[in-house]
Amino acid sequence: MPSEPVRITVADADLQRSRVTVLFRLILAIPHLIVLGIFAAIAIVLAPFHWLATLFSGNPPDALADYFRMLVRYSLQVYAYLYLTTARFPPWPGTNDEYAIDVSFPPAARQNRWSVGFRLLLALPALLLASALTGGFGFGFNGSATESALQGSGAAAAAAFLAWFACLVTGRMPQGLRDLQIYALGYATQAYSYLFLLTDQYPNAAPRAYPSAPMPDHPVTLSLSADDLRRSRLTTFFRLPLAVPHLIWLALWSIVALLVAIAAWLAALVRGQVPAALHRFLAAYVRYTTHFTAFLYLTANAFPGFTGTAGSYPAEATIAAPERQSRWTVLTRGILLLPAFVILSALGGIYGLTAIFAWWIALFTGRIPRGVRDAGAFALRYSTQTYAYALLLTPRYPYAGPGPGTSARNAPAAPEPAPPSYIPDQPVWTREAE
Amino acid sequence: MTRRRRVILIVAGIALLVAVEIVVATRLWRTSVPSDLRLPSLDPAREFPAGELRRAESFDAFGRWTFLGSQVVLLATLAVYAKHGWRFARESAAGPIGTGFLLGMLGIGIAWLTQVPFSIADFWWAKDHGVTNTDWATFLFGDWAALGGQFAFVCFALLVAMGFSRLLRRSWWLPATAVFAGLAVLFAFVTPLLLDLHEPHNPRLEADAAKIARQQGVSGIPLKVEEVRSDTTAPNAFAVGLGSTRRVVLWDTIAGFPRGEVRVVIAHEYGHQARHHISKGLGWSVLFLLPTTLLVALLTWRRGGLARPEAVPLALLIVVVLQVFTTPLRSAISRHMEAEADWAALQTTRDPAAMRGLFRNFTDVGYSDPDPPGWFQTLFGDHPSGLQRIEMAEAWERAHPH
Repeated sequence: MPSEPVRITVADADLQRSRVTVLFRLILAIPHLIVLGIFAAIAIVLAPFHWLATLFSGNPPDALADYFRMLVRYSLQVYAYLYLTTARFPPWPGTNDEYAIDVSFPPAARQNRWSVGFRLLLALPALLLASALTGGFGFGFNGSATESALQGSGAAAAAAFLAWFACLVTGRMPQGLRDLQIYALGYATQAYSYLFLLTDQYPNAAPRAYPSAPMPDHPVTLSLSADDLRRSRLTTFFRLPLAVPHLIWLALWSIVALLVAIAAWLAALVRGQVPAALHRFLAAYVRYTTHFTAFLYLTANAFPGFTGTAGSYPAEATIAAPERQSRWTVLTRGILLLPAFVILSALGGIYGLTAIFAWWIALFTGRIPRGVRDAGAFALRYSTQTYAYALLLTPRYPYAGPGPGTSARNAPAAPEPAPPSYIPDQPVWTREAE
Repeated sequence: MTRRRRVILIVAGIALLVAVEIVVATRLWRTSVPSDLRLPSLDPAREFPAGELRRAESFDAFGRWTFLGSQVVLLATLAVYAKHGWRFARESAAGPIGTGFLLGMLGIGIAWLTQVPFSIADFWWAKDHGVTNTDWATFLFGDWAALGGQFAFVCFALLVAMGFSRLLRRSWWLPATAVFAGLAVLFAFVTPLLLDLHEPHNPRLEADAAKIARQQGVSGIPLKVEEVRSDTTAPNAFAVGLGSTRRVVLWDTIAGFPRGEVRVVIAHEYGHQARHHISKGLGWSVLFLLPTTLLVALLTWRRGGLARPEAVPLALLIVVVLQVFTTPLRSAISRHMEAEADWAALQTTRDPAAMRGLFRNFTDVGYSDPDPPGWFQTLFGDHPSGLQRIEMAEAWERAHPH
């Protein structure tokens, strides 16, 4: 039986940040980063002994396990401070002082020797995802070009970069960015706990497994309905070539959508609101891109239609009716979008990675893990909100927090999707034959 | 309209179609090769060195069996898919046409999967004999990319067929054939523009080509060269295009051949252009297309017609079965046109010795069996065999002693 998961706790919901400590955050974190580097170097030396001891006895040795627990906790807290997730200077390792963000480890338990023996290999996908999520968190495996590329675009690092400016201006950490960081750092904590044999439970990629504030009401939501996580092996295997007609159609539609968006922009500048007809057209376009992306990245199983009809697909974007928008935000929409695109680009890497994992897993098992599906759905929801904002379908900025709106379990009230547009019956000729 | 009258109308329509097809086919079959030309019967053992002959026979024999195996597996797979493939409609949230796309693409995908072992065997065999320079990675991933193109093509074909079927019910096949024929003409026109071709950069070759083109009355058609040496060592040349895009293309692998043999190749390809073989080929395509779409319309009707996506797997099977079973006829037409181009090359170059040398070279370099089994040549040979082409050179020489 797998042990309890490693849990992240957030004791402090305060979003206020001192502008002075924010301004010098990187410099302030240097002493901690040096200490963390030294501890990480020691860990690299100790890790093989820890692994061998666990492999032979079936249990991680207490002293070494304690060391790695301390290292993982300390790393979480240092990076939380560096990334502005927390306000207070973190405690030094071994002091056991309470801190705004913490981690609780399951009690030591016997672990399957096969799982221990292949732990590095098994942990590799989780470490890749952790790198894509954090963009710098961790202590090891820093040499490869792949990791360098991923670290450059980590979601938590991107959120920290944007949060630094936001905190300097407002003195407050945006809730969505903070929750995104908690998710990213929490996943990385679970991944390294798994790598260092502190648990035999595989890291959970589902955003809901990590503490976050409820998602504020948003005019654009994503709901996943009737997904039993089953994926057809055949359509999974051919997923990319099956997407070819959609890619062609999307390219054609995008050209028209761009022209319509320009017209909508001009109309919104004059009237303060996008005309209903243009809104309908662009909403259908955004819904279609959501359907298609969900199919391509295995967030949903069914082959999507080509019209973006509302309620026609299991991964459904709900877009509210047009509303009045500030002309200033309409005029400057292109500039306002830049931070959202920074986050979207980071989440795009995560989405791609989860899709690759999902592809392999579905090919062998015919299903995808809920966590992987939900991580992808989070990226998809953010993408839908970003494009809806870009195309003036909503004046609301995309919400970066990995909160509700990503899966059926905690989706906000959304209209029940209509049945698929084409439901095959058992054909007449087979009924006759039987 | 009574049932009896409807049947009479259908039969009359089909009879008219058959009559038109026969008339058009008779016109398309016309050739400039003398009808009284008799080919001498040559002994391959006397025309080719024994080692080359054995090697070419062994090389081609493997390809023949993998080809036959692949065709049997393809038909069996599509037959099973035609019966059970409709179940994949459950994997679709699209409308009828979108679901038809999915079923069409999955049918092609499954058929492709069943062909992979044969492709790998053929590729391994070609590599083993040094006929291809393509590496394994390019072979595997290139095939994958080509599959995406096939998927796009099948979706477009289904969009046309299913779209017309939803609009016109049973008579969709007539406008659909017109659209497919129009597309074939369009493809024939644009294909040369999509190829990476360049000038020969060889004044002697250009002068030879210009002279041959002038002799055949097609002096406006340029000669181009395609670089394929990185992929294959096999020699080849072809004629492409329609109207202003007409080209004669030589692979760079043929550049090392003796000048006389290259002139024969060029004259052969200009022969295709001069005798309008590409237009005629399009005409033949329409003749095959009409009964194909008609049969698809008739045979899928029991499944609700092609407007329903469940009929798509069956339509796929019908198209492939017709393609396979009309292969002997299409091969005969192709051989007929190739023979005419050979005759044009002989008439232009008046150099039968070069033609003999050329086809001996093809056997030596390209491992092409000069004398494949008669049944295979009749059923699937789309060019006259090497030996038959040497026999034509011989026959031309006898008819023109000086």
